[in-house]
Amino acid sequence: MKTRSIFDKELRRIQDEVLALGSMVERSLVESVDLLKRRDMKGSHELVAQDRVINEKRFKIESDVLTLIATQQPVAIDMRVLAAVLEITTELERIGDYAKGIAKINLLIGEEPLLKPLIDLPLMAEKARDMLQKALEAFIQRDVELAKSIPPMDDEVDQLYNQIYRELLTFIIADPQSIDQANYLLWAAHNLERAADRVINLCERVVFTVTGKMVEMDTEEGIAEIN
Amino acid sequence: MLVQPLELDLQHLQKEVWALGLIVERAIVESVDVLQQRPLGGSQPLIILDHQITQKRLAIELDCINLIAAQHAPGDDLRTIAAMLEIATELGRIGDYITDIAKIHFMLVRVEAPLLELFGDICLMATKTQSMLQRALEALQRQDLALARCVFVEDDEVDALYDHVYLGLLASMGGRSRAVIKKMRYLSQIARNLERAADRVTNICEWIAFSLTGELALVGDEKIYQEDFV
Repeated sequence: MKTRSIFDKELRRIQDEVLALGSMVERSLVESVDLLKRRDMKGSHELVAQDRVINEKRFKIESDVLTLIATQQPVAIDMRVLAAVLEITTELERIGDYAKGIAKINLLIGEEPLLKPLIDLPLMAEKARDMLQKALEAFIQRDVELAKSIPPMDDEVDQLYNQIYRELLTFIIADPQSIDQANYLLWAAHNLERAADRVINLCERVVFTVTGKMVEMDTEEGIAEIN
Repeated sequence: MLVQPLELDLQHLQKEVWALGLIVERAIVESVDVLQQRPLGGSQPLIILDHQITQKRLAIELDCINLIAAQHAPGDDLRTIAAMLEIATELGRIGDYITDIAKIHFMLVRVEAPLLELFGDICLMATKTQSMLQRALEALQRQDLALARCVFVEDDEVDALYDHVYLGLLASMGGRSRAVIKKMRYLSQIARNLERAADRVTNICEWIAFSLTGELALVGDEKIYQEDFV
C-alpha cells in the first residue's frame, strides 16, 4: 500500500476513535444530570468510575497521533488536522470531567430531597450535548460554516444558566438551610456552562484547521480573528 | 563537542515553552492587579496577553509536530517533545482561567465588608499560584526534578486557602441580600479558577518529571484525574 493511503487510512481510524470518545462524553454529560434528577447514587458511582475509561481513551488517541506523525510524512494541512485531534481529545476529556463532577455533586447531596424538580439543568445538558455533536460533525466534515453556526447555541445555554442562578439565589435568600444544596446545584449548572464553552473552543479549532486562521467566537462581540 | 541538530531544536522548543510560561506568569501578575484594582501602569491588558498566549501555544504545537515529523527522534527525545506539547496545553488553560478572573471581577465591581478578609485570601491564592508557576518554569529551565516536586507543597497551601475561602463564603451567605450573595458567588468562582490554575501548575511539574524520568507514575491518578466536582 502507498504511504499516502496508509496515512489516510490511519487518520480515518483515529477520527473514528475521536467520534467514539465524543459519543462517550456526550452520553456522560446528559446521563450525569439524569442521574442527579433521579437521585440515582449507584449510577453516579458508576459514571465516576467510567470517567477513567474516557481519560485512557484520550491518552491512547494522543499516542496514536504522535506515532502517525513520527512514522509518516504529513503535509501542512494534515499537521493542522492532527494538532486539532490533540486539542479536541483534551477538550473532550475535560468535558467528561465536568460530567463526572456533576455525578459527584449528586453523591454529595446524598439522600436529601432536591429543593425543586430539575427542569432547566437537563435542558442545559441536552443543549450542550447537541452543540458537541455538531462541533464534532463540523470537524469530521471540515465544515467551517457549521462550526460558525454553533456559538449562538451557547447563548441559549448561558440564558438557562442565568435563569437557574437567579432561581437558586432566591432559595438561598429565603432559606439558609438550602445554602449547601443550592450551591451544589449552582456548581452543576456552572459545569454545564463550562462544558458548552469548551465546545466553542472546538469550533474555533475547526475554523483554524480548515483556514489556518485562529478566531475567537465570543458571540457577544461576534467572531474575531486573532492577529 | 558537536551539538546535534535535534538537540538544538529541542533546546529551542524548551525555550519557547518557557517563554510562553513567562507570558502566563505575567497574566497572573496582571490578574492580581485587576483584583486589587491597582492602576495597570505600563503593563499589558489581560486580553492582549490572552491573545499572545493563544498564538504562542499554537506555534509551539506546530513546532512539536514538525519536529516529530521531520526527525527520527529517539525515544527520550520523543518523550521530551510530547511533554512540551502537554505543558504548552496546560499553560494555555492556565491563561484561560486567569482571563476568566478578569471577566468575573468586572461583574464584581467592588468588594466591601464583610467580604474583605476572604478577598484578601483570594489575592494570596493568586500570588501563590504565580510563585508556583515561577518555580515550575525554573524547574523546566534547569531540568530540575527536585524543584519540580517542591511545587506540590505550595499547591496544598493553595488548596487549603481555597477550602477556607469557599467554606467561609458558604457559612456567611445566610441572611445576606441578593447583591451580596451574587458577589459571594463571583468570589467563589474566582477562587475556584485560581485553585484550578494552581492544579494545572502541578500538572506541568508532573510533565517535567515525565520528560526527565520517563515515568508516568507522577502523572497518575492524583492530579490528571481530578477528584473535584468542578
